[in-house]
Amino acid sequence: MNGPTLDFSFLDATARGSMASKHVDESLDAIDGNMHECNFKAPAVEDFEGFQREVINYVKPNHGTTTLAFIFEHGIVVAVDSRASQGPYISSQTVKKVIEINPFLLGTMAGGAADCQFWQRNLGIQCRLHELENGKRITVRAASKLLANTLYSYKGKGLSMGTMVAGWDLNGPGLYYVDSEGTRLKGQRFSVGSGSLFAYGVLDQGYKWDLTVEEACELGRRAIYHATFRDAFSGGTVSVYHVGANGWTKVTGDDVGELHFSYYPATPVDDVDAHCGGEGKKEAEARAATEASAMET
Amino acid sequence: MFQTRSEYDRGVNTFSPEGRLFQVEYAIEAIKLGSTAIAIKTREGVVLAVEKRATSPLMDASSLEKIAEIDAHVGCAVSGLTADAWTMVEHGRAECQNHYFTYNEPMPVLSCTTSLCELAMSFAGEGEKRMSRPFGVALLVAGKDEDGYHLVHTDPSGTAVQYKAKAIGSGSEGAQTALQEEYRDDLTLKEAETLALKTLKAVMEEKVNTTNVDMARVAPAYVKYSDAAIQEIIDRL
Repeated sequence: MNGPTLDFSFLDATARGSMASKHVDESLDAIDGNMHECNFKAPAVEDFEGFQREVINYVKPNHGTTTLAFIFEHGIVVAVDSRASQGPYISSQTVKKVIEINPFLLGTMAGGAADCQFWQRNLGIQCRLHELENGKRITVRAASKLLANTLYSYKGKGLSMGTMVAGWDLNGPGLYYVDSEGTRLKGQRFSVGSGSLFAYGVLDQGYKWDLTVEEACELGRRAIYHATFRDAFSGGTVSVYHVGANGWTKVTGDDVGELHFSYYPATPVDDVDAHCGGEGKKEAEARAATEASAMET
Repeated sequence: MFQTRSEYDRGVNTFSPEGRLFQVEYAIEAIKLGSTAIAIKTREGVVLAVEKRATSPLMDASSLEKIAEIDAHVGCAVSGLTADAWTMVEHGRAECQNHYFTYNEPMPVLSCTTSLCELAMSFAGEGEKRMSRPFGVALLVAGKDEDGYHLVHTDPSGTAVQYKAKAIGSGSEGAQTALQEEYRDDLTLKEAETLALKTLKAVMEEKVNTTNVDMARVAPAYVKYSDAAIQEIIDRL
């Protein structure tokens, strides 16, 4: 891992004994002072914030992800992969990264899986209570702001979420990006996660306002597939949702292994001459021979 | 009699020598001043009907809300101090959502009424959440869960009793007698709608129309009747 190694010396009995107990107490006091809302003991380290920043990398699953959502003429398409990883280990290929908040609202999951699941269910409660009190559905604008306010109130406490809230209300389609830093952005097109740059490449290139629903779903699926191809931390299946005036529907769920055969872009070069001329052909053959021998060893 | 009563009717938590809690009894009396509400349970669902008494012709009757949705599977009709009722309804809504959050299943109707009764009893408690007096409201809670349909009556003392049919409010005595005579176990939902409105009509001073009554059903989901739907039932009478 990058950065200095973790200081676990506080666990060591001799180190603790030899360390001036006054020092430990002081650091504990300092921690208790600003952590009074938490009902669990904070570790007695000198640099608590540094410790927290570093240790978070070991316990946050689902850091690798590709999710995207975009608004077009006929609503919103939301597409996600389904891989969860913990460092280099793939912990699941069947994660549900689209969270169905209510029949008109969807949230996407990137960052901590538990954080996303918990806080978006919590958002579901707030939306339902709003609906009961006001007798009408909450707007996407209000719902995303509720989530952003919740996340901002926990800023710096270690939440990890990058989510898109997509839905349909009386103003038509709405799409917001909300993250655990407290950021909230309204937009037409978002992609979140480690594979987002790959997805953006395909999405920005293929996006048009007047896509049909089928074309838009295909674009979303293709963008996620290409992200799973180039990003080792994204994979599994591609789930595609469509949000329209009557709420969301799940469109498809395809294994990326099967999509690969229809999408893989690089076609084998049969006729090398056409590309490099006679000289090139010899070179290419020589290269192929060395590659083959390299593979055997 | 009145002399002895005045000694014990001040504190909400003091029993009289005869074993009565006067403030709670007065709160129950307050409901009899409220507008009439009727609920009938059938095998197909529960029907709720309430009277909306506009005290002035300048009053907008649509702002008198006496039927509320607690969750998709629970609804309630109220009589008494409606402001107190909204405190209880909001508590019930939050409890239903918290139950769903914790257990990922809809809250059982009896758990919901229990939590409402706990709130009704908060005048007997201590600390920040203590209510200074009993709630002056009675609820008819209608709901559907895995055990089927329920109709529960709750009063200011925090007692919850299940009923097949129940009337509360100013016309409750006459209405309850009428319900007792007309109720059958094999009522259809449609018959229950008619019976509820017929009973309500009998105890109301005004002529029944779409502005002075409200109706809802839980069958199996909570639905409030539109004016047109109520008119259709009025025409059936």
